[in-house]
Amino acid sequence: MGFADLLEQPSARRLLLFFVLFVLFFAFDLSGGGFANAFMPLIGFAAGEPGALFDRSLLAVVVAAGLTLNFMLILALPFVAQVGVVWAELLIAFLAFFYSFDLSFPFIAVRLPILIFTGAFTTIYVSLISIACACVLALIGALARLSANGPAYGVATFYISFFRGTPLLLQVFIIYLGLPQMGLVMDPVPAGILALSLCYGAYMAEIFRAGIQGVPDGQGEAAAALGLQPALTMRKVILPQAMKLIVPPTGNQFIAMLKDSSLISVLGVQELMFLARTQGRSEFKHFEMLITAAVIYWIVSIVFELVQARIEAYYGKGDVR
Amino acid sequence: MVKLLRAAVAAGVVLLAGSAWAGEVLQRIESSGVLKVSTDPAYPPQSFQKPDGSFDGFDIEVAKEIAKRMGAKVEWVTPAWEIITAGRWGGRWDISVGSMTPTAQRAKVLDFPAVYYYTPASFYVHKDSSVQSVDDVNGKKVGVCGGCTYENYLNKDLVIDAEGAPPFDYKVTAGEIRTYETDTNVFDELRLGDGVRLDAGLTALPTVQEAIKGGYPLRVVGDPVFYEPLSVAIDKGDAEFAAKLAEIVAAMRADGTLSELSVKWYGVDISTAKKSS
Repeated sequence: MGFADLLEQPSARRLLLFFVLFVLFFAFDLSGGGFANAFMPLIGFAAGEPGALFDRSLLAVVVAAGLTLNFMLILALPFVAQVGVVWAELLIAFLAFFYSFDLSFPFIAVRLPILIFTGAFTTIYVSLISIACACVLALIGALARLSANGPAYGVATFYISFFRGTPLLLQVFIIYLGLPQMGLVMDPVPAGILALSLCYGAYMAEIFRAGIQGVPDGQGEAAAALGLQPALTMRKVILPQAMKLIVPPTGNQFIAMLKDSSLISVLGVQELMFLARTQGRSEFKHFEMLITAAVIYWIVSIVFELVQARIEAYYGKGDVR
Repeated sequence: MVKLLRAAVAAGVVLLAGSAWAGEVLQRIESSGVLKVSTDPAYPPQSFQKPDGSFDGFDIEVAKEIAKRMGAKVEWVTPAWEIITAGRWGGRWDISVGSMTPTAQRAKVLDFPAVYYYTPASFYVHKDSSVQSVDDVNGKKVGVCGGCTYENYLNKDLVIDAEGAPPFDYKVTAGEIRTYETDTNVFDELRLGDGVRLDAGLTALPTVQEAIKGGYPLRVVGDPVFYEPLSVAIDKGDAEFAAKLAEIVAAMRADGTLSELSVKWYGVDISTAKKSS
């Protein structure tokens, strides 16, 4: 029986899991940490020197066995409960990780209002305006990219190539510092929105193009046979069907943009990341602010994922049987 | 087509020149009653942001005082440091009261009308370090902010060509120089432990002292290695605005306002030049 056949056996897989976890925790060396000091006296041993071979192996065995057992117990549950338990456990592990930083919670509480009402608010409205502009640019870019008109095709491909081929941070700098040299002086927020729109418009032009091309040729041919003009065909026949293909990756882009909008903090826009950094530096408590900002970003992303699911369901109506 | 291009270029030149008209910035401030000040609120005690979003610190109070003496109100903008030092502000803000060292390179894109204090630069280490004197830093791994005067000092190409800049010599040859976005990154690296990633750092003494007050396990090494003059900065080309600022800062030094603010924020009076020891 080969190794691959052996892995078909659930018990062999569990054993392998235990072994891998053991090696991992042995290498990580739990001895000497907070866990060792709390656990060793519990089973009647004095916590040894950090790195002592006995402590190190024993702790690795205990933790690996615990995790393997936990895994087996979870598998006995129905699927929804499995997911719930895993989320809860990971969340607790995450909180324990943050808690170990010895954070100052009063420091966070005092600064939470400005992080939410100024920071997150700015992040969200900048992202919303930018994604709207990016959608328009993307549609124009995709149509030009698909057209037989040489100059339009040339402009669209040049635009897409440049803005996909350079870092967003660099585009932010070029727009904010470069345009004034030609006499066009922009404030930070418009400059940031322009940079985000242009960059994401270029990425999304490719998404829109793929969506439009994903509609079967027969649809366009049928519309032509019925005597519809090309523009009307695009608007009434192709685009509505393309939306189903365009919406999921666009939602993905929006969530990416929520976080990339932190790059415009270099312009002095007081969005979430900017405030998290400056507030943290005011008393040299970075972790407090960075973790708070991470949690706010995460919650906002989850909310928009739910919105995205609603929109997808709307455009997917045609597929429901 | 050529004509059109020429017209466009001409228009561009006129617009560019717009920022360089003599007295233009001063006129704008006087007519609007608003002085737009750029600040980088990442540097307590010079400039930091309070929980309600307002700013405070030594630079902030100096800027407010300058505005008061011009009969204007302050409006803050917070662009990143490299955007302030890039010059060509295009009227988006009028002045930087940001503890900027008037180096020769910066003087190519900015004007420095008035030095308002002199900050000592010191080496610092983790508190458990064996380093006791500035000489001990030789050959060590030293962290500094990238593109700042402290990096120049370690690279031995620091040029401060402001009037009254105290002379200094290079006392340390670092074994390795590591650069970071700002000094606080260096503090965080040293906090991990002595020699974990870095052996020492070099920055403004008040910044280190503020970090130690904030709970960082750091220790200042010996006496300051150099003093750098720090100046207010404005966009190139407005001589009348520069003259006005020079006059205001001179008055603030003469009547003791700068000394008072210096003692309030740094505990010592560093508003006048000192020789580095």
